[in-house]
Amino acid sequence: MSDALLTASGVTKRFGGLLALNGLSFEVEAGQVFGVIGPNGAGKTTLFSCLVGAARPTAGEIRFLGDRIDGLPNWAVVARGVVRTHQIVRPFRQMTVRENVSVGAHFGTGGRRGAEAAWRVDSILEKTGLAGRAESLAGTLTIGESKRLEIARALATEPSVLCLDEVMGGLNPSEIQGAMTLIRSLRDSGLTILMIEHHVHAVVGLSDRILVLNFGEKIAEGNPGDVMSDPAVISAYLGDALEPAGVT
Amino acid sequence: MTKLLGVLVDSLLAGGLYATMAYGLAIIYGVMRIINLAHAGFLMLGAYATFFLFTRFHLDPFLSLVVVLPAFFLIGVALYLAIVRRLPRSGATPSMESLLLLFGLWLVLQNLAYAIWGGDTQSILTGYTMKSLSFGGVRVGVPLLLVFVASAASLVVLTLFLRRTYVGKAIRAVTANRDAALISGVNADRISATAFGLGTAFAAMAGSLMSTLYAFTPDFGRSFLLKAFCIIVLGGMESATGVALGAFVLALLENVFGAYTPIPTTFQDAISFSLLVVVLVLLPQGLPRLFARRSAHAR
Amino acid sequence: MIARPAPRNIRAAAAVIAALVLLLLAPRWLERGSLNDLWSIAFAIVLASAWNILGGFAGQISIGYSAFLGIGAYTTALLSLKGVGPYWTLPLGALLGAAFSYVVGLPTFRLRGPYFTIATIGVSEAVRVYAAGVSYTGGSSGLRMPPGTFDFDRDYAAMMVLAAAVVLLSLWIRSSALGKALFAIRQDIDAAEALGIHSTRVKLIAHAVSAAIVALAGGLFAINFQYISPGSVFDFRLSLSIVLMPIVGGIGTVAGPILGAIIFSYLQIKLLSTPALRDSYLFLYGGLLMLVMLFEPRGLVGAWQRFQGFVRLPMRGAVPRV
Repeated sequence: MSDALLTASGVTKRFGGLLALNGLSFEVEAGQVFGVIGPNGAGKTTLFSCLVGAARPTAGEIRFLGDRIDGLPNWAVVARGVVRTHQIVRPFRQMTVRENVSVGAHFGTGGRRGAEAAWRVDSILEKTGLAGRAESLAGTLTIGESKRLEIARALATEPSVLCLDEVMGGLNPSEIQGAMTLIRSLRDSGLTILMIEHHVHAVVGLSDRILVLNFGEKIAEGNPGDVMSDPAVISAYLGDALEPAGVT
Repeated sequence: MTKLLGVLVDSLLAGGLYATMAYGLAIIYGVMRIINLAHAGFLMLGAYATFFLFTRFHLDPFLSLVVVLPAFFLIGVALYLAIVRRLPRSGATPSMESLLLLFGLWLVLQNLAYAIWGGDTQSILTGYTMKSLSFGGVRVGVPLLLVFVASAASLVVLTLFLRRTYVGKAIRAVTANRDAALISGVNADRISATAFGLGTAFAAMAGSLMSTLYAFTPDFGRSFLLKAFCIIVLGGMESATGVALGAFVLALLENVFGAYTPIPTTFQDAISFSLLVVVLVLLPQGLPRLFARRSAHAR
Repeated sequence: MIARPAPRNIRAAAAVIAALVLLLLAPRWLERGSLNDLWSIAFAIVLASAWNILGGFAGQISIGYSAFLGIGAYTTALLSLKGVGPYWTLPLGALLGAAFSYVVGLPTFRLRGPYFTIATIGVSEAVRVYAAGVSYTGGSSGLRMPPGTFDFDRDYAAMMVLAAAVVLLSLWIRSSALGKALFAIRQDIDAAEALGIHSTRVKLIAHAVSAAIVALAGGLFAINFQYISPGSVFDFRLSLSIVLMPIVGGIGTVAGPILGAIIFSYLQIKLLSTPALRDSYLFLYGGLLMLVMLFEPRGLVGAWQRFQGFVRLPMRGAVPRV
């Protein structure tokens, strides 16, 4: 057993007759940015759901710090320090931005209360550039702000592994620059980051390692340079996605 | 042996009635994803309509169906157009608004009945109410037999309607896969109105049939509503067969408990309520999972 | 910046305490009939606000709360008949109510939305059928409290204190971490779990708290009316009223259930005193419920907010739904 932080071995997920993930194995080391790419329907989001316990793998096992976490409910995985954001944002629309973020601070790994929680929430709002919208209802945010709120809420749970599901989808170029800066600073603060991203330049620029999925199977894994020149990857994924940069 | 046979026959006959009662709920749920709590109200009104026709015009309870069925179909359509249509459409799971709206409608219907007929217990006594026939030692009440025949006939007619006619096929299509059916040009409003009318008519018919078997008050229908839920959760609702099967299972359980255990009959209703909770809990996603199983799709 | 000290909460709490003081002094000025009406209103506020903790804050609509009221009432009646002082029975009733809420909640909280609601109807009906069929509830003839257990002044004061306590508790929950978890569950249970909220546990806690309060109210009900039967305390219509008051007033708010309770008990007092209308108050409830669902699912409080928004900020965004 290596010293990997997060290990997946033989993870399989079946929805009725549909095989969404097929015997997937990989390891993520502490402090890495681990990119997950693949065409639509490749099983990327399903993989994240299995990692955090929102879905239970049909077969295989997932270990975090050596302990099995597959089969645990979502909240229990979050309590251990693995959290995800949602591709389609799911803010609590009738709560303010500050309240949204404080839910994460109250419940996640820290279970912070009172002034301590308030202090953490404020620093996260600052870091994610939401301080100015703190008292707005979450339902009134723009898509860019909503994506940042997803990140802010997840950060408030004080995770050690942060799974970002297409946090750049739908953003304009300057917002994408901002998101990349944010992700780098999170990595520098010691977080391990898994990210699903269609925006190829962002993934290549940020990731230490990239996993490529197609129809639920791993077709390549390695450092960005090697993966991007892999013929299997080019034909399965990059062939149609490289044309206009950043298509989703 | 005769006892067992008796239990089976009773269950079969009661199952027919239960299926009629549950089918109205199932068809509305299937098409609109609405849990129609007003079902209990229509059940009760069906009984009172038959009672009214019987006492005022001396119309035989079974003949009264000729009036009750079309009348309640129209009432259902009208209620859909006037009220139910105004609600935001339910997604994959029924909305709380629709549940509570129809809950309100049930209360209104119930108290309408209190205002018209008062709270006294009513019953219908015909020449054949107390008659029974004997088949190889098993005695069967004539009304129960007639109720079964009427129920079975109505389910056969409904099945033919759903299989042979355009509207029927559209109802089945919407039930099986709503989005796909709506995209392919099925008129959602017309289908929903028809389904709501059919559901209402079936509820009233079940009520009419019950009025020949049981005494009733304006509060009549609540325990049967829960039984109907129990049945559609048990049997699924893609087909009349599934509903019939669920109905038979529930009737069998009730009769077996009644015949072979010392549980007093006052607790008989508790069987279906408890069963409902148990079955709901064993199918934690609730009814949609029955559909999901068919159309093996995840998200 | 530190968390908002919520001046709104402090002001509201001060208002509640002031109202409590006034109500406790009321017997000096008011006659018995009016005090009885106040008792009924406070009773309704307790039921509506307690239900709202689970049904409103967490959005788990249960139509089975008469079970908890009945448990509280029967605990008090049965123990009083054994010679225990009626007020000493209240904590046990609350405990039993909470315990039963756990038994009910553990399986049914796996269900979502309307399926949960249907299951609660099943549970409450099963309880009612059971209570009517066993002998120790006195069956349909009911139970009478032992003589000497009636003291209106004491029961009045107890009910006022309970009502104020429930409203203060609601205010506290609304601003607490528990409250945020309940709101999160109401709005998106999966997203709530994805932030580490153990939704089943949170719902069980809210259910137990509200069940215990309703059981307490049930005990006071038994003391005040001196006679209970399955028909009076396990009645389905009672479960209905408990749900309807917060929904009409404004579900998920603190003020809504209070408003709904005041309107409903006032209507009920008026209707019950008119023999011709005695049986028809549910007609009114049903009609009100339909109107609310069709036109303003957030109840009277929602309508008021919409009116305010209309007056002050005509361009404000769409009103969020329940």
